[in-house]
Amino acid sequence: MKKYQLGEFEEVVMLTVGVLYKDAYGVSIKKEIESRLSRKVSVGALQTALKRLEDKGYLKSFDGEATEERAGRPKKYFQITALGKKAMEYSKSTRDELWNAIPKVAWNYKLVVG
Amino acid sequence: MKTSPPKLPLRFFRWFCHPRLLKYIEGDLIELYEERVKENGKRKADIKFLGDVLLLFRPGIIRPVEGYERLNSYGMYKSYFKIGWRNVIRNKSLFAINISGLAIGIATCLMIMMFVVDELSFDRYNTKADQIVRVVLKGRVNGEIIKEAVTAAPVAAALKNEFPEVREATRLRRVGTPKITYQNNTFRNSQVAFVDPNFFDVFTLPFIQGDVKTALLLPNSIVITKEQAEIYFGTEDPINKLLEFKDAKEQYKVTGVIKKVPANSHFHFDLFASMEGLAHSKEDKWLESNYFTYLVLSEGTDVNEFESKMPAIIKKYMGPQVAQLGMTFEKFQESGNQIGLFIQPLTDIHLFSDFAGASELEPGGDINSVYIFGAVALFMLLIACINFMNLSTAGATTRSKEVGVKKVLGSQKNQLVHQFLIESFISTAVAMILGVLIVTVSISIFNQLSGKELEAAFLLNPKVLAAIIGLGILISLLAGSYPAFYLSSIKPIAALKNKFSNGGKSKGIRSTLVVFQFVISATLMLAIIIVSQQMNFIQGKNIGYNRDQLIVLRESNLLGNNESAFRNQLLTDPRIESVTMSAFVPAGPTDDNMTSVWVGENKEEFRRTVIYGIDPSYIPTMGMQLITGRNFLEGPESENDKVIVNEALIKAFSLEGNPVGQTINQRTDNSGGYSSLTIVGVIKDFHFRSLHEPIAPLMMLNNPYGGLIIKTKATEMAELIESIQAKWQAFNVEEPFTYALLDELYNETYLAEQNMGTILKIFGLLTIFVACLGLFGLVTFTAEQRVKEIGIRKILGADVFQIVSILSKDLILLVAISFIIAFPLGFYLMDKWLQDFAYKIEIQWWVFIAAGVSTLLIALFTVSFKTVKAALANPVDSLRSE
Repeated sequence: MKKYQLGEFEEVVMLTVGVLYKDAYGVSIKKEIESRLSRKVSVGALQTALKRLEDKGYLKSFDGEATEERAGRPKKYFQITALGKKAMEYSKSTRDELWNAIPKVAWNYKLVVG
Repeated sequence: MKTSPPKLPLRFFRWFCHPRLLKYIEGDLIELYEERVKENGKRKADIKFLGDVLLLFRPGIIRPVEGYERLNSYGMYKSYFKIGWRNVIRNKSLFAINISGLAIGIATCLMIMMFVVDELSFDRYNTKADQIVRVVLKGRVNGEIIKEAVTAAPVAAALKNEFPEVREATRLRRVGTPKITYQNNTFRNSQVAFVDPNFFDVFTLPFIQGDVKTALLLPNSIVITKEQAEIYFGTEDPINKLLEFKDAKEQYKVTGVIKKVPANSHFHFDLFASMEGLAHSKEDKWLESNYFTYLVLSEGTDVNEFESKMPAIIKKYMGPQVAQLGMTFEKFQESGNQIGLFIQPLTDIHLFSDFAGASELEPGGDINSVYIFGAVALFMLLIACINFMNLSTAGATTRSKEVGVKKVLGSQKNQLVHQFLIESFISTAVAMILGVLIVTVSISIFNQLSGKELEAAFLLNPKVLAAIIGLGILISLLAGSYPAFYLSSIKPIAALKNKFSNGGKSKGIRSTLVVFQFVISATLMLAIIIVSQQMNFIQGKNIGYNRDQLIVLRESNLLGNNESAFRNQLLTDPRIESVTMSAFVPAGPTDDNMTSVWVGENKEEFRRTVIYGIDPSYIPTMGMQLITGRNFLEGPESENDKVIVNEALIKAFSLEGNPVGQTINQRTDNSGGYSSLTIVGVIKDFHFRSLHEPIAPLMMLNNPYGGLIIKTKATEMAELIESIQAKWQAFNVEEPFTYALLDELYNETYLAEQNMGTILKIFGLLTIFVACLGLFGLVTFTAEQRVKEIGIRKILGADVFQIVSILSKDLILLVAISFIIAFPLGFYLMDKWLQDFAYKIEIQWWVFIAAGVSTLLIALFTVSFKTVKAALANPVDSLRSE
């Protein structure tokens, strides 16, 4: 059984929330992902992912300030929870394990062919 | 300057977005939009905004359909369902008891409801059902009660002319079983009637072909049902086809095709021939009753008031004709005679009509069985509901902690009431579904027994479905409200301190309910025993003739001149003991003639008497007994003015002493003609009609005609019948060979009653079974509650029997109390039921003991399952838990 469920995009979102630390809200996360990973992120995809992560308990949110450029709408800031952190660590460690398990020969072989 | 995002997408977004996310996402969207306007200009920003909104339209963002604001108690209700379900899982067996009892109750109730609805719907298919009435004849002539559903031919016209409130009057006359041919095919049909041309204006029988108004205007026209038309004409168009009535040698032209007469009608004719050509239908004879007369009264006519106008009509029209018989109408009445026309609403015919079998069109239903079944259904449901209440309150001990905790945490009383009502709704819903399934599966058995054509699909009719759901709600309220209010009023402190005891008030109520259940059960048990006794009595009663080994060939007159030859051939068969020629059979379809008879010169003191036309072999063949005198002699003409009478006739005319040689006179026409007959023998009374009626006066004349009745010695009936059939076919008759066995015909007479008895038995036993389920559930609880007590008792040396008796004592006492109420009640009801039979059993004292003991045994047996188990349990298991 899977212990933690974290999709690829979800992982990216989690990481970005971590990167932004106290300034992670919809628009900033979107911009951060777009600039760092140079990929397009739609508001819809991002919001769905955020909601799902919050439902899973990996993220928690709190209301932020309402600014003028948002026509008085509050920001919703996200933070990684302890569970979220575990999920991320789990995800990373499984990746690392896989990385480490790749025999050196594989790389060499690839070089030879290349 | 501030730019604002395009209105339409924004409104769309606000409409679909989950309200919790709305302000944040909208903020994000606006922020992005502002930026894009600055970077790329308004147009591009607008397009991107629209794109974002569309991409947001996905699950997770869209607002949930069922609502998100948990301001209502939706969550609470969800939890009630969850707790209810967990309770079910925890007490699987009790739940099963509860549900199966309730499901059986509901199934019975539904089935009986369908039966009752069907019975009550008779003749309601007529659009004027409430205005149609039938005119019937009742009276008393020379001490004999006359009751006929038919009246004289001119009654209809007379009433129409005399009273403006009679909008329409129509008549129907039954035709026996005519032989009808179409081209070379011959058919026999017993469902043929002559009707007045306006018959279809009165009865709503829709025409498929032909015209309602004109179809029967001409003599020799006939209207046929579609089903029957297919039998006669196959795929050909029936209109204008000619049907020949063989016996009357008349041809009838088909002028209309109607739909089959609905099942819930008091007649089911296939062919309606025009009465226009029937000469006797136009005769002004008030003393011959052959016509079923129906009237359509104008709306709002008071039937009783209308009926009160009838005596004047009788006097005006019938009076002069009575006078012709040699007695003025006044004198006729003065000597204690009455004759009157009565009005019977159409919708009462099926259930309330009590005319003797031969006079009514079809055997009707019985309002009493509607009442009895209704009562059984109601009781069954009550018992099932009581089970539910009992088990729920008895289970209160296990739920009291839950209630205590809930109350401490702030549950209000009405919330708890809701909770328990919801649990009762769950149970009822499950039971309801099960009940409907049971109905679907068992409806065909019920149909067989009740002779109905009920369909389970009836339950899907929206109105019925609404009624069922209504019933379900009613049941769950009925069964759930007491436990709900009882449980919700538990004091939390008592409950939590474990001081909650299950005694006191609720125990009293529970006991009352158990007594009530067993009053019903014991009464039913009594009813079952008495009904079966009466049925056996009828089966085994000495009916005055021997109905075994008799084959009836009603149709043998079709052989015409060959009948005697056929008969002689039969007699050569060694397996055949004797053969008699007669159209009169004491059971099943038979000729049925009546005549007026008097003794000596007392012409005015005539009695209506049944006449049998027999031959000298009839009495020995039928195994009837001559008390005095002799049988008819074979041969001499002089036997034709001799008569054999039954004991009832002797008694009616007070001829005891020396009846043989006395003369009785039989009326031969209405103008005073008669023939004198000499009594040569007296035959022991035999039953020739239902045992509901006393044996009527009967006389037998040496006038053989009609069918044959064969007495056999054969054990291989089928083989014999085959050989008879072969002989029959040797005569080249166009008719198929048909036969009947007299004992089967006899049994058929009581089939309806036997089936009613069977239905009552089944439902009665089911009711008792359901009551026992409840008892079982209760004992389960008592045993569980007293598990420690039992353990201690066992340690102190109680044996199994003692413990079983301690556990059963209370319940058995309740059952015993219920007998005190049930027996007088059962006696009263069954005595009333038996009043309906002319020949009936006496209710004996041992019946009560049998009913009591069997009910008690069933109860004990039920209880013993649990008590023995509890008594055998190892005390260590029950005592070590603390």
